[in-house]
Amino acid sequence: MLALQILIDGFAISALYALGAVGFTLIFGVSGVLNLAHGGLMLIAAVAAWYTAGELHAGQYIGAITGLAFGVLAALLTYFVVVRPIQRSRAIPRDETEIFVLTGTLLWGIMIQEAVAYFFSDNPLTVPALISGVANINRVRVPFNEILVAAISWLSIGLLWLLVNRTRAGKALLACAINPRGLTLLGFELGQLYLLVWLIYGLLVAAAGVLLATFLGTSSGNTGALTASAFSIVVLGGLGSVSGSLIAAYVVGYMETLTAYLVSPQIRTIPSLLLLVLVLYVRPQGLLGRR
Amino acid sequence: MSRRVLAALVLLLLLIAFPFVASGYLLGVFTIAFYFGVFAMAWDLLFGFAGEVNFGPTFLIGLGAYAAGLLNVRGWPILPAVLAGAVAAVLGGLLLALPALRLRGPYFGLVTLVAVLLLQQVIVIFAGVTGGEIGLSLPDVLSVDARKNYWYALAFMAVSGALLYALSRSPAGLILQAAGQDPVEAQALGFNVAKHKLAAFSISALFSGLAGALMVFYLGTASVDTVVDISVTVQVIIAVVLGGRRTILGGILGAVFLIGVGEVLRPLGQLSTFVVAAIALAVILLFPDGLIGAFGRHRRQA
Amino acid sequence: MSKPKPFPQKTRYAAFAAALGLTALAAAPPAQAAEPIRIAVIAENSAIGGIAITNAAKLAADEINAKGGVDGRMIEIIDYDDHNSATDAVRAFQRAASQDHAIAVISSYMSEVALALEPWAARLHMPFITPGAASNEITRRIHEDYEHNKYTFHGYLTSTELAQTVCNFSHDVLVTKLHMKSTVVMSEDAAWTKPLDGEYLVCLPKAGLAVLDHIRFSPDTTDFTPLFNQIEAKHPDVITAGISHVGVQPTVQWASQQVPIPMSGISSQATTDTFWRDTNGAAQGVILEENAAPNIAVTAKTIPFAQAYIKRYGITPGYAGYSAADDVNIIAEAVKRAKSTDPDKLVAALEQTDYIGTMGRIQFYGRNEPFTHGLRYGRGYVTGIVVQWQDGKQVAIWPEDIATGEPKFPSFIKLPEQHAGK
Repeated sequence: MLALQILIDGFAISALYALGAVGFTLIFGVSGVLNLAHGGLMLIAAVAAWYTAGELHAGQYIGAITGLAFGVLAALLTYFVVVRPIQRSRAIPRDETEIFVLTGTLLWGIMIQEAVAYFFSDNPLTVPALISGVANINRVRVPFNEILVAAISWLSIGLLWLLVNRTRAGKALLACAINPRGLTLLGFELGQLYLLVWLIYGLLVAAAGVLLATFLGTSSGNTGALTASAFSIVVLGGLGSVSGSLIAAYVVGYMETLTAYLVSPQIRTIPSLLLLVLVLYVRPQGLLGRR
Repeated sequence: MSRRVLAALVLLLLLIAFPFVASGYLLGVFTIAFYFGVFAMAWDLLFGFAGEVNFGPTFLIGLGAYAAGLLNVRGWPILPAVLAGAVAAVLGGLLLALPALRLRGPYFGLVTLVAVLLLQQVIVIFAGVTGGEIGLSLPDVLSVDARKNYWYALAFMAVSGALLYALSRSPAGLILQAAGQDPVEAQALGFNVAKHKLAAFSISALFSGLAGALMVFYLGTASVDTVVDISVTVQVIIAVVLGGRRTILGGILGAVFLIGVGEVLRPLGQLSTFVVAAIALAVILLFPDGLIGAFGRHRRQA
Repeated sequence: MSKPKPFPQKTRYAAFAAALGLTALAAAPPAQAAEPIRIAVIAENSAIGGIAITNAAKLAADEINAKGGVDGRMIEIIDYDDHNSATDAVRAFQRAASQDHAIAVISSYMSEVALALEPWAARLHMPFITPGAASNEITRRIHEDYEHNKYTFHGYLTSTELAQTVCNFSHDVLVTKLHMKSTVVMSEDAAWTKPLDGEYLVCLPKAGLAVLDHIRFSPDTTDFTPLFNQIEAKHPDVITAGISHVGVQPTVQWASQQVPIPMSGISSQATTDTFWRDTNGAAQGVILEENAAPNIAVTAKTIPFAQAYIKRYGITPGYAGYSAADDVNIIAEAVKRAKSTDPDKLVAALEQTDYIGTMGRIQFYGRNEPFTHGLRYGRGYVTGIVVQWQDGKQVAIWPEDIATGEPKFPSFIKLPEQHAGK
């Protein structure tokens, strides 16, 4: 009984972590853009969904779609207002762009956070579940919504994996992060490529924001934790590897769940943090990293 | 070069004279800003010269602050407690450097982030000893007089700044710079890159720990949210990039600017943080070389 | 597009100057009225619990001013947002004292902030009341070093007293009426819950609830499933909680997993109006302690205050709003009593407070009593009340004399067999 509980609970929470990280895998792991406003974008999507569903009484489905739309918009805005100017700036040397993108998106994330807090306070809010009710798996109760979220998590990771590893555009993205000039020489239009990346990223991060908020809730106060979690999982999994992120998410998720059940809920995150350090010590490029 | 030194000296004199015209409140603002300035300079040493973006300044600051605070609660007087705090920070920094310096780029960043999260957890779990999220109240403080506190902070910042700046211009500093920008080449030239990075880490830890310890003796409390929090790291990174990365002294400018503007905008209430972030974003987009770069002479990098 | 185009020097300077100019404009100080009594309010304005303090203080000040102020002097509230940061709060405190000439400070529902400000109240000789922090530390420091810390007053109940209220409620309602026999204590692992849990473990068995387990969870827990599963395995009749940092998450998960055990105890986030909306109704059946509620007449002043607050701000006050409003009145009365705003005289006058506020009859413990400058606790003074969320509203279910309804639970809850009816 306990084993089944641990198995199911760990699976669910790992899928959530994976979902939160999948967009980050694309934007940072594959494309090399360290977008520290990641949590902020998730927040916007979640707040839009909550507001539309609840305050405007439009119900959870319209809420979810609105959340997606706002998330994509916010991602594109991030690209055009913060990231693109930095990438194109002549005043910033090529190898310095990372610290500027980091700092710029950090500030942008703070602005998002504060704006949301101003209008909605920093109280956590949850998006209404898309499906309510519980399933009984061998006397273990699992909310249907959790199953749905896990399914969507796997679906999006699967699709992303296909994109990066099996399509021309995907391989171009990987190459782009390593050597953008080489790509231009090969005839790729960088601008269009970036736009595509941010569009897909927007969808992924918005979906993650809305879905995570149905289970974990969101608040302007925990955007940092969301970004940190995504960052940890992507780096642990290894930059550039989508399957690495998935595996890392499950490692962290199960580690936390096992600790909570078998050791103590007090120190839930500590073993997983220590494991992180250990893995990196032994394998400095992460689990399946390529660069 | 001597023009810069002259300008710095004039500024220093003005700052020393400031308490004779300013209110206790303004002095308090600058006192905190000066400590943050040291946090920023210490980080710039590691980042600007060793080339590593790390999320860990708050780990080192927190170690120094809590070590000093805990000892003071047990009866140690301020000065030994502060020194012990600095030592604790250096030890912690070395412990962190062990796994960390094997890593590059975001992997390094992640390990430093994890260090912060672990320290937070430890402090909260042992709340009986550390006061947990509520914080530790310190029996002693540096001084109850606003002016004395200001001068202590100013002196500390000036000395730290001078030392760190001199270090950055020394042969060792140049090697660090080379190691940061092109480690392979530096190694090929025969320099022990790892040793120099370790040294940079330790020095950064020393100053961060000292500053953290002194700051909590100014505030009178040490708590997780004030010294072991990602927001501290965030403010440090922004201060350095805003002030001018790799300039050491830019860190002070950035810290004073951030905190100063935040205070000036206090009447805006809740929105002040938003506005400060927006201004900082605009500054780094428009002036990538930071405040020092915008108003100083542009020096060609060798 | 191939020529580099950096911003020319002139444009850069102009942009920078413009930015500074705008900053200076935004920071222009407001016009000063003559001889007002300035009370500084430092709160976390982005938090529901924090903005309640600021809003309530302003409302209370306006009501006093409408009646002529204090001996003809108007009360002016200067509010500061501390952005959830203790260092920021300290700076605001310094500004209030030396720049803005406040005569007293009301601040924070966070123990961390209140404790960080306490030494500064001592240094700057500034009377200071906290309307919402619960840490026992606050009064302990005053008791142990009265001469320095006498400027601080604790305008809310200590963790120990909060636990006692929950225990009294558990005895009167859960044990006596609902025939419950056992509980599991579930608290976030934080410094404020240590004395809370300590008292729970002593008073719950005395109230008639055997404590089957005591679980403390990491405050950054996001997944509460392991906790609920572990608790369920022990089959308690009720969960007695101590949560503040989290609230929405465990409640939503409790409801979505349909955990068959009711939740009771301290849940700070659940005290506000918005909790129902933020959890999309998952709060149904959650029992919690608070100091007052909008439709419950703890005293004759409670409902009028809440109504006025709702009229002006559109939402119900967070719990610290009630105490903050009372604190403004207490300070005003003290100024009147002392006929002065001198800090030491004000402190002496505050110690003589005997005021019927929105949360009860307010008196402060004296120098020789354990919780020096804390609220006098007990029947007839301040005890807090226990409410339950029912269909979007908070219904008082304890104490008996102000209860407005009976406990009612969602369908997935299983109550002890002996309880007839539901």
